[in-house]
Amino acid sequence: MLRLVRRRLGSAALSLLLLTTIAFVLSHLTPGGPAYSILGPGAKPDAVAAINHEFGLDLPLWRQYLRWLWALAHLHLGSSYLSNQPVGTLLVSYEKNTILLQLVSLTASLAIALGLGMIHGVYHARGAGRIIGAIELGLYALPSFFVGTLLILWLSMGLGWFPAGGLEDLRLDHQTFGAALSHLALPATTITLLTVPVLSRYFAQSVHEELGRDYVRSAAARGASPLRILFGDVLRNALRPLVTILGLSLPTIFAGGIVTETVFSYPGLGWLLWQSAIGQDYPVLIGIVLVIGVLTVLGNLLADLVNGLLDPRVSYA
Amino acid sequence: MSAPILSLERLGVGLPSHGSGRPVTVLEQLDLTVQPGEMTALVGESGSGKTIAALAAMRLLPPGGTTEGVVRFDGIDLLAQDERRMRALRGRIGMVFQNPLSALNPTRTIGAQVADGHRLHAGGSAAQARVRAIDLLGEVGIPNPARRLDDYPHQFSGGQRQRVMIAAALACDPKLLIADEPTTGLDPLVARQILALLAGLRRSHGLGVLFITHDLSIVADHADRLTVLYAGRAVEWGAARRFFAAPRHPYSQALLGAVPRLGQASLHGIPGLLPDPARRPPGCRFAPRCAYAQAPCEVAYPPPVGDAGEAAACLYPQPAPLLEAGHAAAAFEAGGTAPLLALEHVTVRYGDAAPSLSEVSLELRRGECLGIVGESGSGKSTLGRAILQMLPYQGRILLDGQDLAALPREALRRARRRIQPVFQDPRESLNPRLRVRETLAEPLRLVGMRDKDRLAREVASLLAKVGLDPSLADRFPGQISGGQAQRVAVARALATRPDIIVLDEPTSALDVSTQATLLTLLRDLARSERLATLFISHDIAAVSWLADRIAVLRQGEIVEMADTMRMIAQPNHPYAAALIDTAPRIARR
Repeated sequence: MLRLVRRRLGSAALSLLLLTTIAFVLSHLTPGGPAYSILGPGAKPDAVAAINHEFGLDLPLWRQYLRWLWALAHLHLGSSYLSNQPVGTLLVSYEKNTILLQLVSLTASLAIALGLGMIHGVYHARGAGRIIGAIELGLYALPSFFVGTLLILWLSMGLGWFPAGGLEDLRLDHQTFGAALSHLALPATTITLLTVPVLSRYFAQSVHEELGRDYVRSAAARGASPLRILFGDVLRNALRPLVTILGLSLPTIFAGGIVTETVFSYPGLGWLLWQSAIGQDYPVLIGIVLVIGVLTVLGNLLADLVNGLLDPRVSYA
Repeated sequence: MSAPILSLERLGVGLPSHGSGRPVTVLEQLDLTVQPGEMTALVGESGSGKTIAALAAMRLLPPGGTTEGVVRFDGIDLLAQDERRMRALRGRIGMVFQNPLSALNPTRTIGAQVADGHRLHAGGSAAQARVRAIDLLGEVGIPNPARRLDDYPHQFSGGQRQRVMIAAALACDPKLLIADEPTTGLDPLVARQILALLAGLRRSHGLGVLFITHDLSIVADHADRLTVLYAGRAVEWGAARRFFAAPRHPYSQALLGAVPRLGQASLHGIPGLLPDPARRPPGCRFAPRCAYAQAPCEVAYPPPVGDAGEAAACLYPQPAPLLEAGHAAAAFEAGGTAPLLALEHVTVRYGDAAPSLSEVSLELRRGECLGIVGESGSGKSTLGRAILQMLPYQGRILLDGQDLAALPREALRRARRRIQPVFQDPRESLNPRLRVRETLAEPLRLVGMRDKDRLAREVASLLAKVGLDPSLADRFPGQISGGQAQRVAVARALATRPDIIVLDEPTSALDVSTQATLLTLLRDLARSERLATLFISHDIAAVSWLADRIAVLRQGEIVEMADTMRMIAQPNHPYAAALIDTAPRIARR
């Protein structure tokens, strides 16, 4: 197992280097520049040049990149052009909000998707399965900005149950528990509504395939009841593809739904990404890309390790 | 005679069809009994309804399946029980399936799976069930059962997995064991051990055994009674001893004749195809393929002839034919000529493990057939792949005296066209999305044939060569039978006019009757095309029928190589002798 971890992390370092290079070059190729975001569109050329000089943006691109790498090697991600805060601090404070939101959504999604998917898988081609399948497909087709806007219009502006946004910091010493929960409710519901159909369809397919396998027939021939077969034999095998999907979607989970967070002005990583992209805040932007890259690698690794726990045939050689 | 433990009375099964939704009758009017302590064999080819009969008795038919008739187990009518009662009864009937690797749950330990039955039916504690599981695993011959209890199915060999399956079935304290093709896919030596185990349990536990198989020869030694099924109906049934002494139904005889036996001169497949379940003939189902059929056969299903002990449903029962003895090997140009293919000290190694093939040297002459026999893991497929240049090896492989490994790329490509493979499962080796025409045209295009008319002519002639109707060219592999698909694979191998054909278990995925036809075809082709063939198989009887010489491979080494007649008459190596001992022989009369 250690060998797998070591080998994966080795190749991951290379991918991450490539990823940051691409992100660096692409973001610097965009027209305009952070000076205009700071000074406004009518800025005077000498003021722009002064700011560019201050941030080192007048250097050739390769030297800027080397400087960034050198800083990274010393664990410095630089400071935000816009707020002047260290990127690391910014990432951590926004990431905490995202993680909280995503953990709540993911727990709810998994609980619903496992139940729904199990019923869908068992009653695959029959009435209950078809109805669940149709609901899943309908939810799957909904865009998040639409669902989010709809929830705001209905539950927040119409009924006034939940705030539509305006959250600064979710940490409990800054908020009452109830206030935190009410801010989470709408974005979490949106994400859950959109995640459930994906997970549920995968799980249903997996349950359906496992139920057709020979070992299920063996268990039935021993006289095991359908529920016993489902929970004793099928569940564990059916979970394996789901774990892979979860691992692959881990980066999205931590990066946050950009659209959802923006719609609800929820101060998470997705919202920060959007803000820094508009403001051409390069250090923050590349910092977020790096975080997402690292999480992608870890997500895949985690999925493989969990699959190894579920399936004794997987060897880490 | 005591009361039977299982009796099927006029059992019929209908299954929903894929297209029309109207149920299709797959089994009709099956009568069968299993006595305590006895083995009844239910014999038939794929599509005969034999597995469906067992699933119907267990009430495990796929959704939409319907049954009629009576299934009486220990005096209880199983078809009349509700699902709850049925679950309790299922353990009393143990079941063992084909392919134990998929029949066992890959993510649960074998101990847990064996203990399941005990916990479900005896209701004991987890600890008691564990102790019972150790006892049972020991009884079925798993060495060190206490230590292996927490291992997973993939950590066992095929034969051991089947033993685990049997232990899991025994854990419910069954009175009846239904074994559905339990030995298919196992090596012959292992298959014999499994059969002996079942036969032993039958006596020691007083178990009734229903043994379902496509292979008549495997049950000849152990079955007490048998029923032969064809296209959903019994054609012959009764006491096994009397049946094997004098089978009367032409289908039974054809089935027996189709199994290759050591020392057999001719092999007769059954021409034609199994009728589609939705379009079965109204009279005798076998009549369209039967050499003795006459007009009355097609009117109504024939009434049984015979007595209570043994009977056949046939209007014109035949006296049992005598199988000719003798070996009819090809008359290849022996001696003098230089070998077409020569292997010199060929060794294949995967990673750090012991070599899969070690220091193998052999020669193959034009028109000669060399048989390679050995059990799984002996390296026989590796040998074929090395000759086909599909994996790296040490040593030299010479084609017409030229070292293949030393040839430049383009010359090697030309040389490889002269050696063509036919693999085990045609369904896997044919591209399912290509029509037969395209599959056959592809190698022809590779050798530079572009003209459309010429391609069409050549495809038709290839199909004719393997005895297939040219109209099959428009079909996809999924639309033809397994035997036909394997013929297409042979035709594809012939397309580049090779000198050598490597046959890797070409018959083991096919039904008995189709196997015989394919073997005959291969022999005829080898002679007419003057092909050298390398015939790789675990079936030593089939190999002995086709091959001029046989090499016995064990753990990557050739332990004995000799002319076929000499090898089967007096093998020198004890392992070769053991292998030959497992093969069916023609009865000496």
